[in-house]
Amino acid sequence: MFVKVGSIIAAILAWFGLSFLFPETILPGPFQTAMVLADNFANGDVFQHLFATLWRVMGGLALAMAIGIPVGVLMGVNRFAEKTLDIWVMVALTVPSLCYAIFAFIWIGLNETAAIVAIGLTSAPSIAINLWEGVKNIDTRLFKMAKVFNASRWVIIRRVLFPQVLPYIMASLRFGLGIVWKITVLVELLGRPDGVGFELFYWYQLANMQQVLAWTLLFTIVMLFIELVILQNMERKLFSWRPKVKI
Amino acid sequence: MDKGISIKGLVKDYPGHRKGERGQRVLNGLDLSIADNEFVCILGPSGCGKSTLLNTLSGLDNDYSGEVRFGGQPVGRNGKPPVKMGYLFQDPRLLPWLTAERNVDFVLENSDVPKSRWAEIKNHYFSLTGLEAFRDHYPHELSGGMAQRLSLVRALSIEPDVLFMDEPFSGLDELTARRMRVDLLDIWSRTGKTILFITHNSYEATFLADRVVVLSQGNIREEIPVEVPRPRHYDDPALFEISKQVSANFIAAAEEAERARLQPQAG
Repeated sequence: MFVKVGSIIAAILAWFGLSFLFPETILPGPFQTAMVLADNFANGDVFQHLFATLWRVMGGLALAMAIGIPVGVLMGVNRFAEKTLDIWVMVALTVPSLCYAIFAFIWIGLNETAAIVAIGLTSAPSIAINLWEGVKNIDTRLFKMAKVFNASRWVIIRRVLFPQVLPYIMASLRFGLGIVWKITVLVELLGRPDGVGFELFYWYQLANMQQVLAWTLLFTIVMLFIELVILQNMERKLFSWRPKVKI
Repeated sequence: MDKGISIKGLVKDYPGHRKGERGQRVLNGLDLSIADNEFVCILGPSGCGKSTLLNTLSGLDNDYSGEVRFGGQPVGRNGKPPVKMGYLFQDPRLLPWLTAERNVDFVLENSDVPKSRWAEIKNHYFSLTGLEAFRDHYPHELSGGMAQRLSLVRALSIEPDVLFMDEPFSGLDELTARRMRVDLLDIWSRTGKTILFITHNSYEATFLADRVVVLSQGNIREEIPVEVPRPRHYDDPALFEISKQVSANFIAAAEEAERARLQPQAG
């Protein structure tokens, strides 16, 4: 804990020091950035933009998981599915996220659905790959045990397969979140009239570095909160049965 | 109810892995009957068909020919025995995300033991195996011996008519294994079950069994009755004498297997 707080203070000090070397229009210091951020909260529509973005992040992540998890699990347990799908997962992974965004906006229209589809499709392949690798590590001996003790197919799926896949689903949720929010900002810049990405692009066009940094800072803090406080606690609760690793 | 097992003409082939590769006959017309409440140990070198025998009897593998009956009744369509079956694997095979007690509940839920009796059954076997204090522990918090004890509790909790044991003590240190063998005989003498126990250890087989069956190349090489009265003592010289005979048979079976492997296959 002390180490973490210490490193954050050191980073802010470094930023503070560096800001003296550059003009304000290129690198504003931490205090100015914080002031701009506070100003935005006081008289702006920060929450409207932030929630618009968070909504797209959640929607896109939900879509990515809905596609990625079944595909990944299927590829992990079935040889035929693995052989047919692996090339397509690679293709889907290779297509740049900008292309998904352009296709979605042209084919679906400049609306929320298109934004979420673009975000979901971009991150689904990474999640599928994550699950695919994970499912290969499943302990199949436990299925044999369950079968010998008369468990039905459904019981085996729910009580023996699912608990083994769950850690990989959680890992891909965290990993997926990291990808999704970066894509969301890009999609917003391209085709939405609000959100953090829109604001970033707007201030970039006006060459207002203070605002650009203020929005970057805000969004990073919010995402770190989700990752470190919400998801990590969830994981700790779900996987309390695991042995603690001491190094 | 009769819980004996009768096996007639059991044949099991494994297909070759590659095209054109010859398959392998693992069980070659095996005949064996095990009486109600009998404790039979199966001994044999690797590849003699021991594990395959358990797989076919337990219904994990029902791609075989021949006839298997439990208490005179044939196996069901799914290959499952028509009697209640408990199973001990070489490794404990516990569900790592469930506590010791929940692991036992898992098999109880899939059995026909009424829920009203679960508490009593669990109390009984947890205290019998000395695991009373570990009911809320997760498997990774148990030692190897305790985990295997827990898997014994799990197998016994459903009150099986037949108990299949696949080298259950081979991964334990000798002292723990010895204690478990004594405990197993104690439990068996009190509850009465038909037990089929597979092992590599000729003294273990002799100490435990009413009858030791030595397998060689998919069939019975020798059946050695152990007519030493129970309760038995671990260091009884009479057991040592019989175990020598078992050992000699086991070694001969291993040599036969070695010769068969080196011989070029005809046809």
